[in-house]
Amino acid sequence: MTTTPVPDNILADFANMSAALTGFQSSVLRPFLDPVNLSGLYYGFAVSQVSQQAMDALLNAYRAIATQPAQTIADTLLETASPTPSNQAQIAQSIVAMWYLGSWYKPAYQNAGTPGAVVQVVSSEAYTNGLVWKAAQAHPMGYSPFTFGYWSQPPASLATFGVNVPDGGGQ
Amino acid sequence: MSNGNGSTTAQYDVVIIGAGVSGNLIAKQLGLAGKKVLILEAGPTVPDSREQYMENFYLALAKTPESPYPSLAGRTGPGVGSLPDPAALPAPRATVLAIGRPPQQSHLIQSQTAGAPVNAKGEVRQLQFSSTYERIGGGTAWHWLGTSLRLVPHDLTMQSTYGVFQDWPISYDEMETLWGLAESEIGVAASVAQQEPLQAAIGLRYPPGYQYPMNPIPSSVVDQTISSAVSGMSVPGEGSEGGKEYSVFVTSTPAGRNSEPYQNRRVCAGNTNCIPICPIQAKWDPTVTLGSALDTGNVTVSYQSVAVNIAVEGGNATRVDYLQWSRDANGDLTSKPMSVTGTIYVLAAHAIENAKLLLLSNNQQGIANSSDQVGRNLMDHVLYLAWALADQPVWGYRGPLATSGIESLRDGEFRSNRAAFRMEIGNEGWNFSTGDPYTTTMDFITGTNNSQLNPQGQRLGGVKLAEQLNSFLTRQFRFGLLLEQSPQAENRVTLDPTYTDGLNIPRPHIEYGLDEYTMEGFRVAADTCSAVFKQMGATEFTQPTVHPYPPGRNPGPGDFSYQGKEYHMYGAGHIMGTHRMGTDSACSVVDASQRSHDVPNLWIVGSGSFPTVATANPTLTIMALAFKSAQSILAALGS
Repeated sequence: MTTTPVPDNILADFANMSAALTGFQSSVLRPFLDPVNLSGLYYGFAVSQVSQQAMDALLNAYRAIATQPAQTIADTLLETASPTPSNQAQIAQSIVAMWYLGSWYKPAYQNAGTPGAVVQVVSSEAYTNGLVWKAAQAHPMGYSPFTFGYWSQPPASLATFGVNVPDGGGQ
Repeated sequence: MSNGNGSTTAQYDVVIIGAGVSGNLIAKQLGLAGKKVLILEAGPTVPDSREQYMENFYLALAKTPESPYPSLAGRTGPGVGSLPDPAALPAPRATVLAIGRPPQQSHLIQSQTAGAPVNAKGEVRQLQFSSTYERIGGGTAWHWLGTSLRLVPHDLTMQSTYGVFQDWPISYDEMETLWGLAESEIGVAASVAQQEPLQAAIGLRYPPGYQYPMNPIPSSVVDQTISSAVSGMSVPGEGSEGGKEYSVFVTSTPAGRNSEPYQNRRVCAGNTNCIPICPIQAKWDPTVTLGSALDTGNVTVSYQSVAVNIAVEGGNATRVDYLQWSRDANGDLTSKPMSVTGTIYVLAAHAIENAKLLLLSNNQQGIANSSDQVGRNLMDHVLYLAWALADQPVWGYRGPLATSGIESLRDGEFRSNRAAFRMEIGNEGWNFSTGDPYTTTMDFITGTNNSQLNPQGQRLGGVKLAEQLNSFLTRQFRFGLLLEQSPQAENRVTLDPTYTDGLNIPRPHIEYGLDEYTMEGFRVAADTCSAVFKQMGATEFTQPTVHPYPPGRNPGPGDFSYQGKEYHMYGAGHIMGTHRMGTDSACSVVDASQRSHDVPNLWIVGSGSFPTVATANPTLTIMALAFKSAQSILAALGS
């Protein structure tokens, strides 16, 4: 997909917001050396699905609370306490799903109120970089970075997989 | 070969239809002996690299067994909404996405009915046949699991030992030799010492001094957890065996995947993707053997060549007519009628397509069918799926898809009355059962409860989401139970009178159901899984339903009820029985060499020859029988 380059500061905001929303370290989502550039791909894909205006509004909402704790940012933007999340919170859900699963799921407001209608796998790299596999202390099915026999031992800690766990440790 | 006008100018020693497990092995053995062989393969060629197949897999929304392989639409949009119409395809195949779908999407034409009816004999009829196959160079075993279990002795003697079904026309001693050849060809990783406890339990035995080609695959943490938990466990015998106890224990599974480099292929990296595709070919597949066959210099493959008739004149097969298809620059399908002759013919197109071609030949009068058994006794290892959450992490989604199983219940006197089963332990969490990790992830993002793990409808984000998913995903595991299905004449493949494919060839029509013998096995299978979960302290989540339908939906194809309880039957992908072997030509299609009783220069090979299916995954035995066929073909050629 060819896209107009997005200014670096906007991508940084998108990645930092995504880190708070997903519970992963920002350096996992947007590494210093980033040949894959998932944050750029995902930003562009989300804009193509929900409009630039809606993305700008979500990022502005993030910027207004960016100094708060990551969990507070996630709960606020996703409106996790509300029985009826707003359209903007539904867009935030779709962005979380894209990072976790590599696929775009339509926000419920675009799908007659039903959440979870899948549109497409964003790219093969989106699949092989899905965060859910790290949350499972595993690897994408069909894309193992590990070597023979690793499965006979427990995995490394959840923090090692990039989850921003509060105490930095635990399994 | 052909001069392009449809007439034949060259002659082959052997013409083989189908480039899969059996066809490729027979081609290799004949090629090594200097025989000239042509393989006609209906589907496209084997790609130079599996990268494109991997890309197809990565981009598939539903990562079904067929997802990496050509001619499947549906990558975008609502997933199953854009399945191609088999009426427009040159070599359509049965697909998981098409199960339960109408003929405009399903290659197999089935008369399944939601809430399958029960007939006077207590049999469930009009049930969905739920197994699928490929039609490409390399065949269906591109996506075999790699499980390489031998049968046990009583599997070959069901009639003489238990008074049910048929005996195999071949001795266990002979099969042992053939399995050894197959294990060497595949490169099976296993240890005879690890299998030894199964001798007392189910009679599994090996010739003295036998060793597998390489060391076993290590057991997963899931396996280790279950193995510890069931230590000392047994289940009671049934009926007249009331006093007997059957011990329950876990055994490492012999596997066609490398624990050390073999045949220039790498060791397994635990991609957890044996089905649909091993990314690194650490798992043997038929393209390995095809490469060896081509290396003999005596084997030729003609791809995109769909056989439509095996001509029989004067009792012998004399010619294969086929359609060589291509797509022009506009993507339009064109085909050219061709013919080829050989001294011997081998039909190796897998159980359903084998039956279809036999019935199609001779102007749809059929050949090799004086027994009227062609297409009948269609069987599967009907699969019971049970899933649970362990009380501690077992770390699934890691390692080969399965590395161990409970094999100790595969034989016993109960087989007079009900189906035996093996219990495969899955290393892929609830991927098969629930579509995870997708389903649970979306539940906790959007507040749904399709996984049953979010009954409060929570919506989470941030570290809370990651930790909640971690807690569930690392404790998920499942059993897949392969049940021994009864051979039933009315479970059959015929030519559909209405629907054709893109080459105007009639498509397979399927009639399918289960008898009480198999359903009683289901009942015991379900109870046994629940007992093991209880023993482990695990929480069971098994539902008589199939992803992605929500719990509580109305029964659909593949669902049935037995003794007041609802079950869902999955396909194991093990299609068997449509040209059964036997000594009596009145009630079997082929002999022990898989040679047609009726047409002496025609061999009909593959799992369609199995007279009974027992409980072992079939590929190893398919190849073992192919070795025997190759030997008998060479003998018939006077070598």
